[in-house]
Amino acid sequence: MDLRSYSGLLIDDIPEMRSSVRIQLTDAGLEKCDTARNVKEAIDKLSANRYDLIVCDYNLGQGADGQQFLELVRRKQLLPLSTAFLMITGETGYEQVSTAAEFAPDDYLLKPFTSQTLHTRLDRILEKKEALRPIYKHMGERGDRKLALAACEQLLEEKSRYTLDILRMKGELLRTLGRNAEALALYEGVLAQRSTPWADVGRARAIAALGREDEAKEHLQRALEAYPNYLAAYDSLAGLLEKTDKLAAQQIVEQALKVAPSTQRQRRIGGLAMENKDFARAEEAFKRTVEKDRTGFFKSHDDYAGLAKSCAEQGKTAEALGAVKEMASHFQRTPELAARQAAVESQVHARVGNAEQAKAALERALAVMKDAELAPDAALEVAQACFAGGKDDDAKAIIRSVAEDNHEDDQVLARAQAVFATAGLGDEGTVFLEATRKRMIALNNDAVALAKGGQLDEAIAMLQEAADRLHNNAQVSINAALALLMRMQKNGLDADRLAQAQRYLEQARHANPEHPRLAEVEAFYARLAPAENRGS
Amino acid sequence: MDSYVAAAIHDAKNALNVLNTWLGEAKRDCPSSPALAQAQEVAGRVSAQLVELLTLYRAEQGTLRLAIEDHYIDELLADVMAELSPPPGAVPVQTDFSAAAGIGAWALDAYQVKFVLLDALRNALRFAAGRVRFAVAAEPGGGVRFMIADDGPGFPAEVLSGASHSMNDRSSGLGLSFARLIAERHTTPGGARGRVELKNDGGAVFSLILP
Repeated sequence: MDLRSYSGLLIDDIPEMRSSVRIQLTDAGLEKCDTARNVKEAIDKLSANRYDLIVCDYNLGQGADGQQFLELVRRKQLLPLSTAFLMITGETGYEQVSTAAEFAPDDYLLKPFTSQTLHTRLDRILEKKEALRPIYKHMGERGDRKLALAACEQLLEEKSRYTLDILRMKGELLRTLGRNAEALALYEGVLAQRSTPWADVGRARAIAALGREDEAKEHLQRALEAYPNYLAAYDSLAGLLEKTDKLAAQQIVEQALKVAPSTQRQRRIGGLAMENKDFARAEEAFKRTVEKDRTGFFKSHDDYAGLAKSCAEQGKTAEALGAVKEMASHFQRTPELAARQAAVESQVHARVGNAEQAKAALERALAVMKDAELAPDAALEVAQACFAGGKDDDAKAIIRSVAEDNHEDDQVLARAQAVFATAGLGDEGTVFLEATRKRMIALNNDAVALAKGGQLDEAIAMLQEAADRLHNNAQVSINAALALLMRMQKNGLDADRLAQAQRYLEQARHANPEHPRLAEVEAFYARLAPAENRGS
Repeated sequence: MDSYVAAAIHDAKNALNVLNTWLGEAKRDCPSSPALAQAQEVAGRVSAQLVELLTLYRAEQGTLRLAIEDHYIDELLADVMAELSPPPGAVPVQTDFSAAAGIGAWALDAYQVKFVLLDALRNALRFAAGRVRFAVAAEPGGGVRFMIADDGPGFPAEVLSGASHSMNDRSSGLGLSFARLIAERHTTPGGARGRVELKNDGGAVFSLILP
C-alpha cells in the first residue's frame, strides 16, 4: 500500500523515540506526519486537523498513558472511528493495552520493531479502515445509526473479509437502537460458530437489556472465567450488580482494577466504596485519581468531591477542605465548578458540626445555581448539600427537575437515588424517582395520544411547555418536534413552526445524539422542510 | 511488576534486545558472517525462552491472565513466518495456510500463541532432515489446529507418553511445558479447552488446538 497520500500524527514524550519512530514511518512511506510531545499537544493537533492515522506510545509521561488518551479523544469525538490508531508499547504496557474494554486501539506493536513490521501493520489497519469506511461514515456525532446499519448489511452481503468486525459493529448498532432481540440473535449466531469474548459479552448485554438480568449475570460470570482479561465483561457485570448488591459490584471492579488500573475504574471504586461506607478505601481510590494524572486531562470534579467527602467521613477535616480547595486549581472556573466546590465544602462543614460555615457555603452554591443551568452531577451535589443542611424541600425540588430532565438516563437516576440514600432517605427516594419517571412517560404518552386523536395544538402546547423547561430531555424535545411536524403535514408549512421544530431537534441531538427515535423524526423534518431550511 | 524474579527476567530480556541491536550493526558491517547470523538466532531463542519462563512463573503465582481477542489467522501466520528468520542453511519450511481465509478471525492470545508456534518451528528446524511442514486447519467440531511436522527422528517415547522433555536430551522441556500451559489456558465459557497433541508420523508432528 502506498502511504504517501495519508496523513499521520505521532505521539511520544521521549525525543529520541519520537525521531526514531518518525524515521521508521518515513521508511514505511508515511511522509506527512505531525508529531506531539504530550497529551495537550496531541489534543490541540487533533482539534485542528484531521488525520488518517495516529501512532501513539503507551507511556506518555506525567501519569498519562496512551489508553487513557485514546478513551478521552474517542469520547470527546475528537478522533473519528475512521482514523486508525496504532499503539506502540513495551511488554508491560502490552498487557494493559491488549485488555482495553470499550475503546481498543486498531492494533498494537511491541518494541523493538523493524520498519518492515511497522509497514505491514500500517497496511493492515489502513486497509481495514478503508473497507469499513461505508459504516464509519454514518457513525460520527451527526451520523445516522440506521444508515450505518444498512451499510453493515450491504458489506455483509458482499462477503467482506472483515465479516466478524462488521457483525461486531452491527450488534452494537442494534443495541444502541434498542433492537435487543435482533442483537441477541446476531450474537447467538456468531457463538454457534465460534467462542469469542465480544459476542459473549454482547449477548449478555442484550439479555440484560431484555430484562433478564440474572441470566445476563450468569453469562458474564462464565465469560470472566474464560476471558479473565476482558474488561468489558467486568464493567458490564459491575454495572448489573450495582443495582442490587453494591458490595459484590465493588469486588468485581477491584478485580478489574488488578487487570488494568485506569483512572475511570479508580473513580468507580471510590464511588462504590463510599456507598458501601468503606471510607478508607474510597479515600485511597480518589487519591490515586487525583495524584496519578499530572496532565489534568483525565480527572474530574467527582474525584476531588469524593476525596473530600471520604476524608470528612473519617474526621479528617483539614484534608477534606484541602481537597475542596485543590479542586479549583485543576479545572476551568465554570459555574459548575463553583457550585460543586461550595456544595462539597458545605457538606464537609455539616459533617463535622460547623453549622454556620455549612450554611454560608450552601448559600453560595444555591446562588450559583440560580444564575446558571448546571449539569446533573453539579446540581445533585447541591441537592446533597441541601439535605445535609436540613433543607429537604430544596433538595427534592432540585432532584425533581434533574430527574424530569433525565428520565431516560439510568445513570443520572441512580446518582439521584444515591443522594437520597446518603441522606438516609433511600426508600422515599425510590418512590419519588419512580413517580417522576412515570410522570414523564405519561406526559409523553398523553401528548402523543392527543396528537393521534387530531388535537395537535393541545399536544404541541403540552410538549413545548415541557421541552422549553427540560433542555436535556431528548424524548420530550423529539416529541415536541414531531407534533409540530404533524401539524404542518396536515395544515401546511409555516416558517415559525418549522424553525421551532428544528430547534427542538437540535436540542434533542445535543442532549442525546444516540436517542433511538431521533433519526426517524429528523428524516421526517427533512422530508417536510424546503431545501433551503435543511443541512444545518 | 510482580516480583524480583519478573523484574530480573525483564532486565535480561532488555539486555538481549540491546545485544540484538549490536549484532544487527555488526551484521551490516560484515553481512556474510555465518557466526553473526547464528549469534542472532541464539539471542532470539534465549529471548523467547525468557518470555516463556516469565509466563510459567506467573502461572505458578496465579497472576497469569491471557488476553484473548479476535485475530485474523492469516495475519498471525504471516507474522510468525516474518519473525522466524531461520539461520542460513536451515531446511525450508513448507506452508499450507489455505484454510486460513475460511477460518477468518479466531479468538486467541496472539502474543503467547506466536511464541508457542515459533518455538515449535525452531525445534522442528533443529531436528528436520530435509523439510518442515507448517499448516493450519479448521478442527472438525469447532476449533483451530496449527500443525508443525518435521522429517527427523520423531519424539522420544517418554515425551509421547507425557513427559515434557527427553531423558537423553539436554533440553529443559521449557518449550513443551509452555505450549501446554498456553493451550490449556485457552478456554471458552462453554467449557471447551485447548490442547497440545504430539505424534510421530515420518518425523515429529506437533499440533496446537485452540477452542
